Amino acid sequence: MGNPVLLTPIERLAHSLLRFGTLKTSGGAMRKSSGLLFALGISIGLMATAPTGLAQDKTIKIGGLLPISGPGAYFGAQDKQGVELALEELNKTGVNGYKFAIQYEDSACGPLPATQAARRLIDQYKPDVIIGEECSDATLAIMPTIAQAKIPLINAGSSAIKITEPGNPWTFRIMPNEVMQGVDIATHAYNDLNARSAVLLYENTNAGIGNAKVFNETFTKLGGKIVAEIGFGREVNDFTAIATRIAGLGSVDVIPTYTLEGQGLKITQALAQAGVVKGGDGPAIQLGTIWLPFGFEQKAGKSSTGYIRIVQFDPTDERDIVRNFVGNFKARFNSDPTHLNAHAYDQIMLIADVVKRGATDAQSIRDALAATKDFVGVTGSVEFDETHQNIRKDTMHYMETRLDLSWNALKWN
Amino acid sequence: VELIPVNAAIVIQQAINGVVLGSLYVLVALGLTLIYGVLVQINFAHADFVTIGAFAAYFFMHLAGGSYLAGIAVALVAGGMLGWLINLSIFAPLRRMGGELPPLIATIGVSVMLQNAMLAWFGPVPYAFETPYSQQVFRIAGIFITMQSILIIAVSATTIALLYVFMKFTFLGKALRAVSQDYETAGLMGINPNHLILLTFVLASALAGMGGAMLAPVLVLTPFAGASVIVKAFAIVIIGGFGNVEGTILAGLLVGLIESYTTQFLAPGLIDIVVFGLLLLMLAFRPTGLISERREENV
Repeated sequence: MGNPVLLTPIERLAHSLLRFGTLKTSGGAMRKSSGLLFALGISIGLMATAPTGLAQDKTIKIGGLLPISGPGAYFGAQDKQGVELALEELNKTGVNGYKFAIQYEDSACGPLPATQAARRLIDQYKPDVIIGEECSDATLAIMPTIAQAKIPLINAGSSAIKITEPGNPWTFRIMPNEVMQGVDIATHAYNDLNARSAVLLYENTNAGIGNAKVFNETFTKLGGKIVAEIGFGREVNDFTAIATRIAGLGSVDVIPTYTLEGQGLKITQALAQAGVVKGGDGPAIQLGTIWLPFGFEQKAGKSSTGYIRIVQFDPTDERDIVRNFVGNFKARFNSDPTHLNAHAYDQIMLIADVVKRGATDAQSIRDALAATKDFVGVTGSVEFDETHQNIRKDTMHYMETRLDLSWNALKWN
Repeated sequence: VELIPVNAAIVIQQAINGVVLGSLYVLVALGLTLIYGVLVQINFAHADFVTIGAFAAYFFMHLAGGSYLAGIAVALVAGGMLGWLINLSIFAPLRRMGGELPPLIATIGVSVMLQNAMLAWFGPVPYAFETPYSQQVFRIAGIFITMQSILIIAVSATTIALLYVFMKFTFLGKALRAVSQDYETAGLMGINPNHLILLTFVLASALAGMGGAMLAPVLVLTPFAGASVIVKAFAIVIIGGFGNVEGTILAGLLVGLIESYTTQFLAPGLIDIVVFGLLLLMLAFRPTGLISERREENV
């Protein structure tokens, strides 16, 4: 799994010569020793004649703990595209004499595979910095292992509050946590949508339960009423029974939903079929946070009409940095970038930013990350507080799905 | 756990939901029970035949521009052909080598291989499998049913009826039952068990493929889609009585109804506790299943 460690041309040549030296041949040990000596001689000779600009061969090693298999595998596939684009751009010239290399391990969106992947990555690749995971349960599981190895972890996809509370010296999160999102969306639901009743739908994971809890607390404090809280496992496929139960509860104003894309699609369609949400000519507005990728509406179809959700990347943003990213991404992958592509791109660019500020190894990368106050990425800006949580609210963009499935930017933040 | 008050319409609605879901489970579980009935072998790759059927229908509709109904037929054929190919190339040679364990382990290997092949070909991003029938909703007195749900029930009922006729009244069906009851004696009576094993595999795989096409609009369609229903299908086969077609049908519908009513009256998070609790009770008090075909215990 994963790409090989980036080697310099001299190292590669020496390695292949050494392999040649250890081949079993009829010449036996004498032949083997000759090969080794030959390899060493060539290597020393090449090193002596190598240009002095060796600084360009210095590499920042990035570990990528991404879900590449299982139900969250779409995270990893899209993250890798964002990483690839960023690395191609950065490695054209390098930063402060450093180039960037990445090795991926499949963390599979689950605590156990993620912990094993983290251990493999640390033991075998020895990265200077790690990005990942996407799922909160997996991120929470890998944090102790990575902190013990004293390697900074940059997270862009997990919203569980416990990731940055009460603070972890080695973990940094560039996306808004569940509290920031939950408080914000519950407040807007109450004030801007005049919602007074809600049904909470969430997957039974740390992130799902945590997100729902924050919405519940904020919404009820403002005067709203939670009519029902419905949690479900990731193995549930058919949501008709759940939609029927919600239909039986009477008129509901909003349905905050916390789940991954696949189940999210089925929930939205089932709620529309049951006539609960606007997409099925019902009264309720479905609300979502950053769990769903770009293109969700096209898959869900008319059922998603009226859906309001936080997206972390606005591809219609007119800032130059975003226009360039969108253009380069389309040219490279022949598709529009999603928030996952953008998140991964920003994670790599943030690492480049700290290297530009003088960081060279795990400790100095950690210190420079902690001091980040004004990094500008394609998803928004980054300023870490003392818990290493990004506190900038410009990473939360509210979008409402129109009848033609395009986005209507609500400009709430 | 708090009980939720409901009206009659909701109770009827959840019964419809349960029958639809149960019909889908039956389509998947029938293949499993057929293979077990004849070969006394558990096929762990069955889930992946379901997924391949779903993808076959999807690509037939989206690349060839075919209709959903024709897509169901394509999935049936794709599943059957794949079953034929894998049986011929992997399972049959292993069976000839003797022993029960190698073919069983091979089904796990085939499952992993198929999942990863699909991951490489189709990618991990969930596909949206829409049919023109999903959006056609009929509403009567507070009860709704989609055309897709009606289609699922109709296809399942037809499949069950055809399978029943095939097993009870055709020569091949009778021969299959003979092999299922006594492999060696059936061979002595002039029946070629290997041909019938191949037929069973093709039939079960075709059913799985068709089940995939029917499930696809309900499933989160990824290369791992089938795996999400297969554990439930195994539970249904055990509850129904391993190798017993009638028991599987009854258990499938029962599990579908249990899931719907658990969601309504308890919580969706408790579905697996209730279903697998029932499974444990069956194993403890009626290990031959709802309808017992074999006299010995299932486990």
